Amino acid sequence: MLACINPAKPKQRWPMARSLRALSLGILIAGFAPLSQAAEFKVRSVATELRDNVYVLNARINYTFSDEAQRALQSGIPLIILMDIGVERQRSWLWNKEVATLQQGYLLLYHALTKKYIINNLNSGAQHNYNSLTATLSTLGQVTNLPLIDKGLIEEDERYQVNLRVYLDIESLPAPMRPLAYLSSDWRLSSDWYSWPLQQ
Amino acid sequence: MNGTTVVAIMFVLLLSSLYLLSGATQNSILFGRLYSVLLGINILAIVLMIALIGNNIYQMIKQYRARVTGSRLTARLVVMFVILSVTPVSVVYYFSLEFLQRGIDSWFDVRVEDALKDALELSQASLGIRMHELLREVEDSGKQIQGVPDGLVAPSLNDFRSSAGMAELTLFSASGRIIATSSKETGRLVPQGLSDTNYLKTQQSRPEIGLIPISDKELSIRIAVHIPPSHPVTEKRILQALYDIPERINNLAASVQTAFGDYNELAYMRLPLKYSFILTLSLVLLLSILTAIWAAFYYSRRMVAPITDLVEGTQAVAAGNYDTRLPPASRDELGQLVKSFNEMTRKIALADDAARLSQQQMEQQNAYLEVVLAHLSSGVLTFDDEHHLHSSNPTAFQILGVPLHENYGLALADIASNYPQIQQFIDVIQPHLSNNEQEWHDEVTLFSGAGRQVLMCRGTSLPHTITLQGGHMIVFDDITNLQQAQRNAAWGEVARRLAHEIKNPLTPIQLSAERLRRKYLDTMDAEDAEVLDRSTHTIVQQVQTLKEMVKAFSDYARMPALQLQAIDLNTIIAEVYELYRTNESRTRFSLQLDKQLPLVKADVGRLRQLLHNLIKNALEAMDDEQPGQIRLITQAVEDARSQYIELQIEDNGPGIPEDVFEHLFEPYVTTKPKGSGLGLAIVKKIIEEHGGMIRAENLPEGGVSVILRLPVASDERITDTDSDSEPQLETNNDAAA
Repeated sequence: MLACINPAKPKQRWPMARSLRALSLGILIAGFAPLSQAAEFKVRSVATELRDNVYVLNARINYTFSDEAQRALQSGIPLIILMDIGVERQRSWLWNKEVATLQQGYLLLYHALTKKYIINNLNSGAQHNYNSLTATLSTLGQVTNLPLIDKGLIEEDERYQVNLRVYLDIESLPAPMRPLAYLSSDWRLSSDWYSWPLQQ
Repeated sequence: MNGTTVVAIMFVLLLSSLYLLSGATQNSILFGRLYSVLLGINILAIVLMIALIGNNIYQMIKQYRARVTGSRLTARLVVMFVILSVTPVSVVYYFSLEFLQRGIDSWFDVRVEDALKDALELSQASLGIRMHELLREVEDSGKQIQGVPDGLVAPSLNDFRSSAGMAELTLFSASGRIIATSSKETGRLVPQGLSDTNYLKTQQSRPEIGLIPISDKELSIRIAVHIPPSHPVTEKRILQALYDIPERINNLAASVQTAFGDYNELAYMRLPLKYSFILTLSLVLLLSILTAIWAAFYYSRRMVAPITDLVEGTQAVAAGNYDTRLPPASRDELGQLVKSFNEMTRKIALADDAARLSQQQMEQQNAYLEVVLAHLSSGVLTFDDEHHLHSSNPTAFQILGVPLHENYGLALADIASNYPQIQQFIDVIQPHLSNNEQEWHDEVTLFSGAGRQVLMCRGTSLPHTITLQGGHMIVFDDITNLQQAQRNAAWGEVARRLAHEIKNPLTPIQLSAERLRRKYLDTMDAEDAEVLDRSTHTIVQQVQTLKEMVKAFSDYARMPALQLQAIDLNTIIAEVYELYRTNESRTRFSLQLDKQLPLVKADVGRLRQLLHNLIKNALEAMDDEQPGQIRLITQAVEDARSQYIELQIEDNGPGIPEDVFEHLFEPYVTTKPKGSGLGLAIVKKIIEEHGGMIRAENLPEGGVSVILRLPVASDERITDTDSDSEPQLETNNDAAA
């Protein structure tokens, strides 16, 4: 019945050919399209400070979504942004020893009825609403006082390094989107590892 | 069996992974997580399969090019299987794609989309009315709080909240700091914060009304108003109120939101969904086809293996290897075929062994026959139905003196033209063969360099049971010697009789004549006495002559036993030659004696007699007109079988007339006016006693050459001849005695 009342679609003679063409085109674009300057995650600054015997992290991160990601978000697809943080003890004669790892997850969602963007902190469960994507992303980009590591775990005479990166989690996208997302630069949204010494 | 299990397990694994993949595509939570892994596994499986099949194809092409047995059949089966499997799958794939496209497209409908949008707007509108009613309440509260200092505002907020049925009422400072809050839910510590946009908006003194999602399915009405400062020194403040929405409306709104959200999500994912379905379908198809192709290779090999074995086995049998046994195959018809093949080769091997055995027996039989034929004293010839020479035995060669074995397959006429010396022989047997006579016998006389030969031929046509159908066999014997011996025996008998019958009255005749002479010679007158004297003299002389003649006969008839000893023939020749050299005859002798002449075993006396006879014969044969010349030549002769000493005595006389030749060596055959006619007969007898042979031939330049051969002192031969000749001589002696 539904098919009958669908006048918009002209009859396709070669559905397979069309799909394959689109698929191959997609792969082609994914492989050769120059990386869009607009769509990128960039860690601008990170700082750590000791507060109440806990190292806390303050960071400013620029989140810029590709048009495709924005379109998906506005269509109600939930997007998850993950922040990987690692603390390593620096060793001069061996590779660094990982002391602690931390992953922060943020779920971005557009609520159509209320026309609000929602950020759901997956670690704490806290939820915030925003009227615009810009406001949402700028809030998301301000990490303030994120507890990083207890002072007790840090040895005073050693040097430590903190690494941080943020990225869009493709694996949390709906399954049908994943193959294309893996191939497309629109979805390969990830910052480089940002490293800095832990201030003691 | 093992291979099948592996294939089955692999197939099940692939199938289950494909099932999971398709489940994941349906956005199921369970498989959603595994989707990427499953995709990877399946793509890896495809790559592996392609590599496997590529290898198989490479191997097959290599074998095909090398024309390995069974490769052609395998290739055909593989191609057939592949076509059989790929064609239907491709058709199904094509239509599945069509349905997939249409199916996904049919999920979306402009009217449904519009209706959902309308429902969303309707919800927003209906809530909007209520929000504007509530705005006044909040504004009223704001006005009342306006003059209240920050520290005392909390109780008022509580009052306002409970009286107006608000869920939460919070007072913020201009910087967004919470001054005081009141909440329906006492457990809630942190009030709903101001978003930065809210904050900025409220700076511009305009109230903000809106819905905010509190949790997944819970909505609140949020109204924020700004409270102008009561004094110029104080700050402006912001009052934010949250109202709960009745549960029914909340549920309805949530339902609308969910439906709209899901629809939007689906609409967005229209293309990705299609792609992922197509991808899954293509993976399923590819894997199925590749598995089918691989299975085609696998089962083609399995099916062809026994056939390959059979082909190789057949080739081996064709090459003569009957011990070929094939490994037992499955229990189907192929297995039956293999069993039959093994049975067949077993029987062939048995038959072959039997054939070989019988062939061996036949060969033995042939060898036996050949040996018998070779040692037969008769010559044997066989001819095929077209009278071409088919076989002969060595004796035939010896008798005829013609290398018959070089002329197999030739017609009689051709053989005759090649060897004119056996022309008479062929002339005799030709008519018998032509007339296809069953049994016949005939006597042939051959004249050749070796002298006269009498052959007794017996012919018979061969039975139809043997290979030479319609052929003939001829057995012939050289009966020359037999005839000669018979003749000799006859002459010996005559001589003995003559000696016996004539010698006996001769003595009384002689005695009587002498007595007559003695008694009456003196008493008679001179005239009568002379007659008597002459007559008796003639009688006595003639009797004497008769006596000598009889003695010669008896000598011929009974010769004493041989006294054999090793001698040098040259010495004896030299002795005898010495006697004749001094003769005053005009005849010249010349000797050509071989210095290396081997010894012969012979009776010296007989040899001397033989030489005397021969030389005398030659001298007597000489005519008086021209000076005679006699040559004595000795030489050692060796032929394939034995060694001889050959002695030739040549003269330059008139030669022997053709009609005498036949009986030359028989007694009383002579061309001379005088002579007993026993000279050559005795020579021949002596030669035969010594196991030799003699022949004579007219020389082309005139004269006769008598050639005799004596075997060289090989003990056996002499002994044989000895033992053969002795009894004969004894009988002769006995008879003579």
